[in-house]
Amino acid sequence: MAYVATRGGEAAIDQSERLFREEMGEITPTRIEEVKAALPYLIDRVMGEASLYDEDLAALALAQTGGELYEAVLLLRAWRTTQPRLSIAKPVEQDGLFTHRRISAAFKDVPGGQTLGPTLDYAHRILATNVLRGETFVPPAVVLADKPAKAHLPSVSAWQAENDLVDLPQPDATDGNDIPDLTREPLLFPSKRAHTLQSLARSETGSALALGYAAMRGYGQAHPTVNEVRLSEAEIVVDHPDGRSFSAGRVKISQAEVVDKKGEKLSLGFTATFGWNEVKCIAGATLDLNAPGAEKGSATEEEFFLYHTEGVESSGFCIHFKLPHYVTFQSSLDAMRDAKAKKAAERVAAKTKHQSEPAE
Amino acid sequence: MTLSKLTKPWEAMSYGFIDGSAKREMRRKMLKAVAVPGCQMPYASREVPMARGWGTGGLQVSLTLVKPTTRVKVIDQGADDSVNAASIRRFIASVAGTPTTLDTLEADLIQSRHRIPEEIMCEDQILVLQVPNPEPLRGVQPNMSIARQMHADADYGRMWLQLYEQIVRSGRVMQGASYPSLVHGRHVMTPSPIPRWDVPKLHMSRHLTILSAGREKRIFAVPPFTRVEPLVFDDVPYQVEDHAGLTCYRSGAKGFFMNEIPQDDGSSVYEVSDSEWGVKAIRAKDGEDVIQGETWYKDGEMPQ
Repeated sequence: MAYVATRGGEAAIDQSERLFREEMGEITPTRIEEVKAALPYLIDRVMGEASLYDEDLAALALAQTGGELYEAVLLLRAWRTTQPRLSIAKPVEQDGLFTHRRISAAFKDVPGGQTLGPTLDYAHRILATNVLRGETFVPPAVVLADKPAKAHLPSVSAWQAENDLVDLPQPDATDGNDIPDLTREPLLFPSKRAHTLQSLARSETGSALALGYAAMRGYGQAHPTVNEVRLSEAEIVVDHPDGRSFSAGRVKISQAEVVDKKGEKLSLGFTATFGWNEVKCIAGATLDLNAPGAEKGSATEEEFFLYHTEGVESSGFCIHFKLPHYVTFQSSLDAMRDAKAKKAAERVAAKTKHQSEPAE
Repeated sequence: MTLSKLTKPWEAMSYGFIDGSAKREMRRKMLKAVAVPGCQMPYASREVPMARGWGTGGLQVSLTLVKPTTRVKVIDQGADDSVNAASIRRFIASVAGTPTTLDTLEADLIQSRHRIPEEIMCEDQILVLQVPNPEPLRGVQPNMSIARQMHADADYGRMWLQLYEQIVRSGRVMQGASYPSLVHGRHVMTPSPIPRWDVPKLHMSRHLTILSAGREKRIFAVPPFTRVEPLVFDDVPYQVEDHAGLTCYRSGAKGFFMNEIPQDDGSSVYEVSDSEWGVKAIRAKDGEDVIQGETWYKDGEMPQ
């Protein structure tokens, strides 16, 4: 048999990628702008899971992957990890947030008021099929209120702390580069508080929801009351080399505070993330609320949910099963066949022994 | 002094894709791993432009170790032309400008998934094994923090019990690949999902082996001339796959780890799993002048 250079693999993977990209067509700046304008909540979700706030890059990642979310997030993460750290922004305080929406389920009204902001919560979920028949959907104009809602609101837990209903976490003075950074060090358990919150912030929305929902349904010890859900914009304040501080812009963030009512005081669960993503924040905060004292190996134990809500890792491992595994398979087959042969030999031996025994 | 003198010209990416700070961490963790053979060292494990579970751990090691003159070989299941091996090789070559090779003897660095080549590796070669699950105790203890404590205590009782139960149930140890092995008499490690055939190749070998799990963020190593002993009971010897008597239908090579290829008539033929070794055997048969290195197994047996 003549030697055949077996390089078929490289040509095949090249062509399969081409096929994918050809079906996606040309990616133009116009397409990026359209994705950005049409799908802000998807952009937000991707930015949150990538832990990279850049709407243009997120739109590009979505366009490049045709909306394959796990791929889009991986693209952004792989880009993000190579970028230098130019500066660490100043911490953001709750009442410093420019708030668009803040609601509390714990009280009928709260200091600062309930601000509904933009939401589909009370919308009737009816498809605007007229659009498919050639009509344009024109959203009815918003009527401005006489008095604008307050933009800066304290957290509900601040009022609860004043009234001795909850113990707020001790302020953490760790600053700048000393803040533990999940993207530059491994996650170990018991997890550093910063790592837990960072992990939840970049968790995959669906995974956080699945495990959070399990906790809500009864597999957790704590039933959440939504203290507040907030959609806001945070000012990114950084130091200029000349000593002055300045705002480098605003980023959209969302956060949820949930409380448990079992003890003498309320206990708090919290999650915040880049972009507006209420489901992830409520689910993540519920997991955080359930974590203290959770049984090892349960879905509400920190190690369990932080590992398993990591979207890039879980999706990567899931699709890796598509890779050839014939060596390991062969190795197991060998043990299996040998065990079977041994059993068969034992049966034969037992039979012959039985036959050779003298009859009584 | 101007700003431009202090900096380098802008480039789209660092040499070898990974940035300097990540490489520094990799080097430190690799040194730690070499210093405590078989012990899993946690590391940050940066994202790379490949999906987790597809060799990202091995890739980070390779990208950190290579320089423009490093000859790189990448195999998956023993084959150089496996799609993912081809993809990783192409990536390393494109971001680090390294020459590539299919020949085990020519390679300075071999990144591999699930196999160790059949030709003996030497002192100036490094083997990088991709690891899906770095924790040999996962089967008996899925919680990583508890497992970590068990390693610290050298508490491997449950591991032994698992092997014992397999013998009682099935008449033999049923572990296929990833056979748990004691390194330097202290830490039990998984040798990655290499077949049992390959584990003895790690024992007192002349080359350095680095095992890296990108998704699980753990790195460990077998330095040269380190004991790697599969966990076995005194009266139940270690058993490699029964491939010693098989012959490759393409190359005629005999006494190496084989791929079983099912045939339409219900039978099987076998081809040598180390694809380049098979190619060398075919070329030698055709009278070409090829250098066939010394192999670990001789006539299907691993000399003790």
